[in-house]
Amino acid sequence: MKNGKKTFLTSGQKRKIRNNMTGYAFVLPNLIGYTVFVFIPVIFSFILSVMSWDGSQRPMQFVGLQNFADIFGDRIFRGTLLHTISYALMTVIPTLILALLLAVLLNNKLKGVAVFRTAFYFPYIASIVAVGAVWNMLFQPDFGPVNEILKAVGIADPPRWVVDKDWAMVAVAIVSVWKYMGYYMIVYLAALQGISSSLYEAASIDGANGRQKLWHITVPMLTPTTFFVLIMLTIQCFKVFDLVYVMTGGGPGNATKTLVNYIYEKAFTSWEFGPASAGAIVLFVIVLAITLIQFSGERKWFRDM
Amino acid sequence: MRKRRLTAALMAGIMVCGMLTACQSKTVQDQQGGEEETAQTSDAGETSGSNSGAPEGKQVLSVTTWDNESSPQFQAVIDAYEEENPDVEIKVIDTSADEYNNSLGISLSAAQPDPDVIWVKDMGSMLQMADKEQLLPIDDFIEEDNLDLSIYKGAAEQLMYNGKSYSLPYRNDWYVLYYNKDLFDAAEVEYPSNDMTWEEYYDLAAKMTSGEGSSKVYGSHNHTWQALVTNWAVQDGKHTVVEKDYSFMKPWYEQGLALQDGGYIQDYSTLKTANIHYSSVFKNQQCAMMPMGTWFIATMMQSQEEGETDFNWGIATIPHSKDTEAGYTVGALTPIAISAFTDQPDLAWDFVKFASSEKAAEILAKQGVFTGIPSETAFQTIAAAERFPEGESNVEALNYTHYSFDRPLDPQIEEIRTVLNEVHEMIMIHSYSVDEGIAELTKRVGEIKGWN
Repeated sequence: MKNGKKTFLTSGQKRKIRNNMTGYAFVLPNLIGYTVFVFIPVIFSFILSVMSWDGSQRPMQFVGLQNFADIFGDRIFRGTLLHTISYALMTVIPTLILALLLAVLLNNKLKGVAVFRTAFYFPYIASIVAVGAVWNMLFQPDFGPVNEILKAVGIADPPRWVVDKDWAMVAVAIVSVWKYMGYYMIVYLAALQGISSSLYEAASIDGANGRQKLWHITVPMLTPTTFFVLIMLTIQCFKVFDLVYVMTGGGPGNATKTLVNYIYEKAFTSWEFGPASAGAIVLFVIVLAITLIQFSGERKWFRDM
Repeated sequence: MRKRRLTAALMAGIMVCGMLTACQSKTVQDQQGGEEETAQTSDAGETSGSNSGAPEGKQVLSVTTWDNESSPQFQAVIDAYEEENPDVEIKVIDTSADEYNNSLGISLSAAQPDPDVIWVKDMGSMLQMADKEQLLPIDDFIEEDNLDLSIYKGAAEQLMYNGKSYSLPYRNDWYVLYYNKDLFDAAEVEYPSNDMTWEEYYDLAAKMTSGEGSSKVYGSHNHTWQALVTNWAVQDGKHTVVEKDYSFMKPWYEQGLALQDGGYIQDYSTLKTANIHYSSVFKNQQCAMMPMGTWFIATMMQSQEEGETDFNWGIATIPHSKDTEAGYTVGALTPIAISAFTDQPDLAWDFVKFASSEKAAEILAKQGVFTGIPSETAFQTIAAAERFPEGESNVEALNYTHYSFDRPLDPQIEEIRTVLNEVHEMIMIHSYSVDEGIAELTKRVGEIKGWN
């Protein structure tokens, strides 16, 4: 075998193989981890989504698309889809606008600007469990600081936040905006550094004021970044789980139950891995669709540039 | 060239080895940690030192527990078993109570020989495991050993499922009414009696409420569990929490809301948002009474023992409705079972048999824990314990004449409980009226059971 091989390969090919082997050796540790903990489970969940299985040793039953029919027929699942979308709507745009405004404000050469940048970035690296617990106390309906302030400014009947089915999602969205705007502020700051100052100088010569410069130079120049931020935020919103789990546990009732909460519950309370995986595939398709939009968008921006 | 190839191979090898050893050293550490724990807690100290290195000839039995450190309920029996069987080492796999059913379910899906013995946290999860064929039926063992099930006074039969026994009763807990004697003394109100109707209890709760703001003392305390309302609705044994029509719950929800809205118990939303544990409310003397399971006796005794609290407390029979008599209570069993995948079923059975024996019952009684063997001696042992409240009425309060399960043995009960909890929350925060909540319950439970 070995001798036979030798005659077929030129020394150049051999060197190439050898070089490749070195490369593979370097990526191997990561590749093993990825295959075992990500790739195989993902494939497995695709298989599970057309099966009926309760986690036991009994063989799985092939049920075709029945799981998908079941979850779309389940009003709790449809509810979680709506909750997830409403959470995305309440989170994405405010985060985007606040991140942009913060970035523009903190792009100046102020004294102590680094302190402010750090302060706004800080929530992003804080533990989500701690953040959720603290905000829950701030939102406490009867004597929490948020409602005390609202009462002080004349709102006699402030919302009951996480224990009000109409306001619970708003409360979660507010915390999410607060937590993530610092991160996207940094993304915008990086992009702002890339805008040539000659543009602003030219505009100044033409007599443009600050707002005109923001609106006609900064915002258009940041469009690719805005697009990127928009996509990343939307994907992040569809995957939301931890913040909801910590703050409301999906409640009150199921008012804040999101797609991932539903998947979790189906899998680990009811032990119905089929419908749970079908839910995960729905999530996968949504995220994939958003990502494809981003890819095509990115190509467009780069072609334009 | 050759050198380079050698280096590459070597590096890959090192990396692989590194990964393997990293994993290995972790398991070794875990084992050592586990052994240290058992060594510390076992009073004889036999398992420490020389044995931990090489357990020669020692059989290792693994058991699953939850919150093992916060309560003596498992460790006391484990220690006693190890003392009696020096050639057996018990490996404890402990998980937090919240994650217990999830983590156990996943590890059983892997069908590994560990764990051997399973303490079952909810009877509902026992049915799920039995349905998934993850529990070993123990009928043959019972027959072989001629085990006398009559000592459990019917509890063993109640745990049977589809005509098979999967477990023996380990703990038995039922609801009683705890009260703070000092607060009653200060208010010059008589202690709750062992024969109270719910109406009398509501009046007493109103009477015992005093103060304002942060120093307010509430007459009673309902934790956020749906059980603190629905239990009383099933107390008379005529209904369960799985029904085609939930209108029987209406008066109980109205009363629960009346207590809350009158300010006699803490607001549900406050408890929920601040994540307040019921034990801290009672221990901090923020409530005069509290309906809670008998498991709280051991907690209170431990707390008095450690000097965490030093007020006088008492136990009364749980109130009853007008058309039943005193002594009707609601409770649940904690079964102990064997994994279907165990590699040492005989040893596991031996442990299960020991843990649910009269001997273990005696050991547990000393800790203030009630077992599946209800006996006068066990009651006397608990009553004689140093930190058990003084007075005959407290012992009397432990007796019951009628016992309903807080939830029926229904294979879908875990799913139904999610619904019960969600609707309970919506009613308690006034998002649903009682009628809306009952309609929702009837509808969604019907959907799960396939009734409509």
